[in-house]
Formats: sequence, structure tokens, C-alpha cells
Amino acid sequence: MALLIKIAWRNIWRNPSRSLTIILAVVVGLFAGIYASSISFGFVDQRFENSIERFISHIQLHNPDFVHDGEGFQLVANPGEKINWLDTSSAVKTFSVRTRVNGIVATAGVTNGAIIVGIDPAQEKATTRFDEWLKEGSYFEGVKRNPILIGSELAEKMHVGINSRIVLTFMDLEGNITSASFKVAGIFKTIDKPFDESNVFVLRSDLVKYLAVPEAVHEIAVLLKDPAQVKAVGDAMKLRWPETSARTWYEISPELQYLQEMTGQMLLVFIFIILLGLGFGILNTMLMSVFERTREIGMLMAIGMNKRRVFGLVLLETIFLSFTGAIGGMVTGVTLVKLSANKGIDFASVAGDSLADYGYGSLVYPSVSTGFVLGITAMVFVIAVLAAIYPALKALGLVPAEAVRKE
Amino acid sequence: MPIISTQGLTKIYNERIVPVTALNNVSLDFDAGEFTAIIGPSGSGKTTLLNMLGGLDKPTSGSITINGLEITGMKENRLMDYRLRNIGFVFQSYNLIPVLTAIENVSFIMLLQKQPRNVIEKRAIELLEQVGLADRIHSRPGELSGGQQQRVAVARALASKPNYVLADEPTANLDTKSAFTLLDIMEKLNHEEKITLIFSTHDQRVIERARRVITLVDGTVTTDIPVEKQQV
Repeated sequence: MALLIKIAWRNIWRNPSRSLTIILAVVVGLFAGIYASSISFGFVDQRFENSIERFISHIQLHNPDFVHDGEGFQLVANPGEKINWLDTSSAVKTFSVRTRVNGIVATAGVTNGAIIVGIDPAQEKATTRFDEWLKEGSYFEGVKRNPILIGSELAEKMHVGINSRIVLTFMDLEGNITSASFKVAGIFKTIDKPFDESNVFVLRSDLVKYLAVPEAVHEIAVLLKDPAQVKAVGDAMKLRWPETSARTWYEISPELQYLQEMTGQMLLVFIFIILLGLGFGILNTMLMSVFERTREIGMLMAIGMNKRRVFGLVLLETIFLSFTGAIGGMVTGVTLVKLSANKGIDFASVAGDSLADYGYGSLVYPSVSTGFVLGITAMVFVIAVLAAIYPALKALGLVPAEAVRKE
Repeated sequence: MPIISTQGLTKIYNERIVPVTALNNVSLDFDAGEFTAIIGPSGSGKTTLLNMLGGLDKPTSGSITINGLEITGMKENRLMDYRLRNIGFVFQSYNLIPVLTAIENVSFIMLLQKQPRNVIEKRAIELLEQVGLADRIHSRPGELSGGQQQRVAVARALASKPNYVLADEPTANLDTKSAFTLLDIMEKLNHEEKITLIFSTHDQRVIERARRVITLVDGTVTTDIPVEKQQV
């Protein structure tokens, strides 16, 4: 076996220019595939991180009817007990208690529908880092009474700025229409345009005053210390609070999980298609190599090298050729991914703000996982083996007596 | 008892289209230690006979027995293994493995035979010394002259300690000096180690060294003459 490996490796370099051509083709093909995939993964990771850590969190607690109907009176039962449990749970990193009502945002000339979300600023900051979305103004500071944070899209639509007054109109929990004046303390801009257009944030302590129910809690968003514990903690909550809907992120947003799983698989298929094309180049190179060595292969069989070894020799040469290119392509690709992952790639110059329409930021950090690279390695092996079969069969089909006399 | 015996060996190519009889009812015996030259014009069947004796081709009819074992009916895999362990080949075009050095080419056969590493290296060096290439053991074929390459091929053929060595026009591509050097070596090995040599050749220099000359014409043995030679 060691001898076959030695011969196979040296045979590759008998025609260095031909071998280098195919190796370079594999390097370029794989590098391009890996880098393009890393950008896709970067988008998915960004979407995932933003969705989970900036919006959905790991688990959300609601009144079961609120999940379907979204009515203001559908409150979380016994919120105090839940808050105490979450405070003392070792699995929970942080949580945010929210009050939500559907309402109308109005200025002198413009009205717009909105979801009015009452939050505890410190809790929200810890759970979703919401303060980092602020583009202008401050995070509930600088305005003594009824401060409000409004999305930049909505602010533009309503022609309001910092310190502008806007009126929120909504129904309290007894069914009465209530209005209150709020002052813009800050304007935020997330990567989700629809979110910015439809959500406004006020102090929960201010909102519950107008709802006439001090303990009005519509939603508790929970962030865990270990994301891998989501299912276990979610199940524990469901068991503990059967009267409450405790949904994990993948129950709230199954398309996220689907996106994550499918992206990896689709990109592997993409890489496979690239490798399949390259595989024909490898096959051609090996076929030429076998034809050029007809006499030599005939001699090997004549002196007693059996068919298994001849097949093994061609297979080894193909694998060495493929893997030399593959290693080069993977190293180049992964290195470039790592280099560009630090600063990220800003697609603003290409796509402007349009990515935000779909919930994506313009700054993407390419990433590629070990599992993905291992998947590529396995595919290179499969392609190499497939590419080796035809040339190896051609070699085995040689008649030693005729082959040794070929010119 | 002869080490090689052929009985009524016949080979017909393209039987169904235009049959060509390459060998016609050839019956020969070869004893251990013989130095035999098979001569004849081009197309007389020399190479076909050598291929049969080497198990590289199967006869249309007839049999070949080597050391009492009939090889004609052997399956391909078993025949390959038999060749590896019992027959040495020296080809006209040397047919060394270009990416291996001289010592690696000679060791190759023994590695295929799965001999112990310490035995392989020692024997390979001994054989290369015997053929006068002790100072070129790490040279690749591309760095050797035609004569030197053929000597490596001889060493390789002997590495497996074969029952006999088949040489198909081994001097055809060599200059006079190299051809004589090669023949000296092979004659010495034949004389000292009693290795059976069977050459197919046009080369008069080979014929003069042989102790038996078989003439083939149109696939038929026309003469089979033992030649008295002086001992080396």
C-alpha cells in the first residue's frame, strides 16, 4: 500500500502543467463555492441572530388566546409568579416583560396604525439590546413625561422628530377608547423595515396607567444562557404553566429553523454541482494519463500486479489530484472567509437599504462551519472515486501482451 | 523433468473473421538452466510463444505445463499471482516505472510478493551490484542510459527468484557496447545461478551466446538446435 501511494503521488507530477491546471481549476471552483456559501451563511446567521436575539428571543410566554386573537384583555395569567420563577431560574439569562396594544399613532396631519409596546427599558436593553437600534435621540431619557421611541420609517412618514408630540389612541382593557400624548425621545432604525413602520415603544409603567390594569402583561420574552436548552426549558415551562402558552423560537418562527437547515443543505448541493463539473475535468485528465501509460500499465499487469492494485493505483492518483486541489480551495476559501469575517462585507453600496425590506442588514459577516467543510471533504472524495472509475476500468481492460508492445 | 513443457500449442487470432495462425502445434520442452534463443522472421510467432510461456496469453488449443503445473486453464487472478512468483520478464523497451528509482523498481516485485522489508532492500542492492549498477541505485530511469535501464530491468526480473526469465528482444534498443554488457551479465547469471533464460531475438549477438536455438517460421518450429558453448 505504501508503495502504491508513493507511485500514485509521483505519477501525478509526471506532467506537472496538466496536473496543475486541473488542481487550479479545483482550487478556484471550491474557493468560489465556499466563499459564496459563506456569504449566504452570513446572511442566514445575521437573520437568525437578529430574529432570535434582537426580536423573538428564545422563548415567549403569552395567554394562549392572545397568540391567536391579539386582544388587549388576553393577559398572561399570574405574571408575578412567572417573573419570580424566571428571576431565580439558572437557565434564564434575562427576560423582558411587555404590554402590547394595537392602536393609532397620530400627529396633526398624519395618522397611522401601530402596535404600542410598553417595556421596561432595562429589561428590554438586556434582552434585545434594543438601545443599540437608536439612530437619534436617547433611550427614554431627556423626556420626563410619556417618552416614546418611534421607528425611523414611521417618523419620516409622520414628519416627526425628537421632542415632537404624537398622540396614541387605543382601547383600554375595559373596552374604552383612550388617548394619550407622548413625546418622541428617540428614533430607532432596525434592519426590519416593516417592524420599524409598525411598532412604537413606551414605558410600560406609562402604558399600564392608561389600560387601568397595573399588572397587564401580554408578553414575556425570555433569553436563555444556553440556546441548546431551548427545548428542555420550553417543555419545563409548558409543564409548569399549562394555562400559559410557552412557545420556543422555532414554534414562533418555524421558517427560521427551516431557513437554517435548508440553507446548509442547498449550499452543499450547490458545491456538489461545482464539483461534479470539475469531476469531468479530473476524469479527462486521468483518462489521458491512463492512455499515455498503456505500456507501463501493461507491464505492471504482466509482471504480476493484480487488477485490484491497478484499480487502486488509478483511484489513489485521482484522489490525490482531487484532494490537492480541494485542500488548496478549502484553505483559500476558509482563510478569506476568516479575514472578511472580522470587518464584514457591506452590501449597502450594491443593495442600498433594500435588504432591510426583507429583514436583512447590509453588513454581512461571512461564516462557514466545520460541518460544512467536512461535508465538502466527503463530496470531494465521492467525486474523486466516481471520476476514477472509468479511467480505472480502461486500465483494467488493457491486455498486458498487447499493451507492453505499444509505442 | 523439464521445467517448461508445451504440448501442441496453437494460437489463432481473429478466428471468426480472418483467422491468422500465429502458432501451429508447437511442442517444446525447456530444462532448468537453459539459455535458449527463439529466432525467426517478423510475424513468425516468437512473441506469441513468449506470451504463452509467460501466461500473458491463452492458446487456442494445447497446453503449457510449468514445473508440473498446467497453467493454460488458470483463472486470470491466479495466473497474475503465478507470474509474480515464478516468471521474470525483460521487455524490449525496458518498461521500468519512471517515477521509481532503480532500487525501488527492483524492490517493487518483492513488495508485491510481500517479502520482509529487510530482505527486500538487501536483495535489491545485491542484484543491482550484480548488474554493475551499485553506484546508480537512487537514479530514476530518466537519468540512466538505455543499457543501464535494461540492466535494471534484468535485476527486476530476477528479484522474484523466478523459475525462468523471458526476454523479448532485450537488446533491440541497445548500442553494441550496452548489448554486450547486458549479454555478459545474463550469461553469467545463467551460468552461476542456473537461471533459465528464454530470449526472442533477431540479434545475432544473442544467438551466438545461446546454447539452444529454436527457429520459428509461420508459427511452426522448423529447427531446434542445441549449441555447444564454451563455459564463461
